[in-house]
Amino acid sequence: MVETNHVQLDDELWERINALTDGAAAVCFQCGECTAVCPWGLVREGALNVRSMMRQAQLGIKSWEDDLWLCSSCAQCEAYCPRAVDIADVFRALRGISWQERTVEPGLPSMLWSMYWNENPWSQPPSQRFSWAKDLEVPIFDPQRHEAALYVGCTASYDRRVQRVAAALVRVLGSCGAKFGCLGDREPCCGEPVKSVGHNPYFEEVVHSSARVFREMGVQKLVTISPHCYDVFKNDYPEVLGGGFIETVHYTQYLSELIHHGQLDLTPGVLNGEIKEGIGKQLREMVEVTFQDPCYLGRSNGEYAAPRYVLGALPGMVLLEMEDKEVDGLCCGGGGGRMWLETPPGERFADLRVQQAADTGASILATACPFCLVCLEDSLKAAGDLDMRVLDVAEIVWKSMEDNFE
Amino acid sequence: MVLSIYNAASAADTIWVYLEHDSGVLEGVSLELLSKGRQLADQMGWKLAGVLLGEDIDELADTAKAFGADEIWLGMHPLLEPFTIKAYTKVLYEAVIQGKPSVLLIGATPNGRDLAGRLAVRLRTGLNADCTGLEIERESGVLVSEVSGFGGGVLALIEMGLHRPQMATVRPGVFEALQANNTRNGVVIEIPISLEYEEINTKVLEKVTGEGVDISQAQVLLAGGRGVEGDFGMLTELADLLPGAEVGATRPPVDEGFIERDRQVGQTGVVCSPRVAVCCGISGAFHFIVGVEKADIVIAVNSDPEAEIFQHADYCILGDVSEILPKITACLRTSMEAAGV
Repeated sequence: MVETNHVQLDDELWERINALTDGAAAVCFQCGECTAVCPWGLVREGALNVRSMMRQAQLGIKSWEDDLWLCSSCAQCEAYCPRAVDIADVFRALRGISWQERTVEPGLPSMLWSMYWNENPWSQPPSQRFSWAKDLEVPIFDPQRHEAALYVGCTASYDRRVQRVAAALVRVLGSCGAKFGCLGDREPCCGEPVKSVGHNPYFEEVVHSSARVFREMGVQKLVTISPHCYDVFKNDYPEVLGGGFIETVHYTQYLSELIHHGQLDLTPGVLNGEIKEGIGKQLREMVEVTFQDPCYLGRSNGEYAAPRYVLGALPGMVLLEMEDKEVDGLCCGGGGGRMWLETPPGERFADLRVQQAADTGASILATACPFCLVCLEDSLKAAGDLDMRVLDVAEIVWKSMEDNFE
Repeated sequence: MVLSIYNAASAADTIWVYLEHDSGVLEGVSLELLSKGRQLADQMGWKLAGVLLGEDIDELADTAKAFGADEIWLGMHPLLEPFTIKAYTKVLYEAVIQGKPSVLLIGATPNGRDLAGRLAVRLRTGLNADCTGLEIERESGVLVSEVSGFGGGVLALIEMGLHRPQMATVRPGVFEALQANNTRNGVVIEIPISLEYEEINTKVLEKVTGEGVDISQAQVLLAGGRGVEGDFGMLTELADLLPGAEVGATRPPVDEGFIERDRQVGQTGVVCSPRVAVCCGISGAFHFIVGVEKADIVIAVNSDPEAEIFQHADYCILGDVSEILPKITACLRTSMEAAGV
């Protein structure tokens, strides 16, 4: 007897996938580069078989459920795909089918409900959105006076660790007279968490309602803290809204502009444009730093230079690169909705990343993304005895300006 | 406003308590509600009745009498075992229409919440859901229910002036069950039942009890973090002394295998809403905080004065968990022994 595995092709399912992905999977010619470079292969025996998922999407065979939610949309596969398949988009489309069939991972529906009730994915009260700024002098955006609105985002608004990033950035921008304001508790969620878990119809609703708020407030330019917000404002909003959207930059890009034009002066001894007694009088000790490329800033939007330019402009700062960097930068594991899903110990990319960072000998692991910050800090704590800390680029800039790395 | 089927003028001076039972024993919340109901009925000079639905449950009537019921409304039928929402709603609805109680109290258990909502709509009356306190105004006979919102940050007192019965669901553990008094007497009133299988649309094929724990319903949560250094024994010891207490944990000790994943609190674990959460050796990362911020009271024990958890706590204890917790346990044990508990 020969045993055979029957494969059932489902034309109707295939048509749905094809429609949901704009035929993205169709161009895949099954070389398998995607599976080979997927970071899940670093932490798991059986890697995430991306090629097989693409094949299933091409044929309408559904046996992808086990691995569907693993993808952190880090886009490492896309960087190497010779056919430029929008692989993460295919994953999101397949997740969209899971929503229709109510087979999504537990925990994700409550994240969407939080978006619905609280306008943030963290189940936090909307009235507290601007509480992070209560002890700071943060200007409220005024289209007459400000060139840009600082878009803080949900994680930096509510996560008390990441609030410190927002506070540092506001201080840096304030010190050089940048014409910016925050949107206060009117700031809407960008909707990226909804997109990442594949609920496209709801994501589009969020895009329309958030875009309306930005319009009403007269915003002409957005500066985001999170690369995730940056990515959707830059790439998805124009598409969903069927036309242009407000110019959006990531804050590292904004800072590098300010530095480049001499508005933000990082010379030791200068703070708020004035010579400060006692600061920078001695030659600054060297500070060695290494940089984690956030996937949504780097691979998804090609921005590797801006954060490095900012770090390089700081006196005494020495950048030591990790083994995997820029287009090969290892994901922290927090994208693609995985911030709301549990990853078993031993399978967290951030554990590997922290080790890579420690291997450089740097005392600071820098990043420029709230999710990276949270994941890397967790892994650093778990590693126990590494003499290193995780800081956001904005925090490093402010600490450097204050000459205070204690 | 839609009027209820009967109003205050035609309501009887009785308080009804719906008695939930499992495996031949009355649920704790049912005893608690009988005890509270007894106190309110005495204050008003009213009668207290318990409603028992099921099959072969007449023995439970004696327990209900011992806990204060003057009347037991007893409905027995093969289709009332096990609990199905349609059957119970129908029978209880008909009993309420017959007895016209002024007040109807139901435990805020999963089945109780289900039943209360459906019944209130059918009776066209209001429902004070998930109450943490009950009083009756002496003059008017109006039930005043206390409910909390926004993680205990807001307390509201709600009442319904016109509609009867005045329905409320009450969280388990809010009231204390009094001692049983087996000399108390009460009358049993049988509820006439006509029930057909076709009306229920439900057939329970199998009842499965999960093996895992459910810490989301714990009244007291004792959560340990990295600072506990794997010694969850000291938390369990304290939990054993506190009724309704469960032990929970942050992600690192779960990862280390010190405690099962069912007990992980937070964004990717369980979101709890206990009356008291004691956070031991927990730094206070945001994804953990999400799991305890609905607690009424948060007590934090940590050796680091800068620990983030203190920003979220009502009471902050600075010090080493492994020194402080055993002392709290010993102190509690001594005072419980002194009080004869």
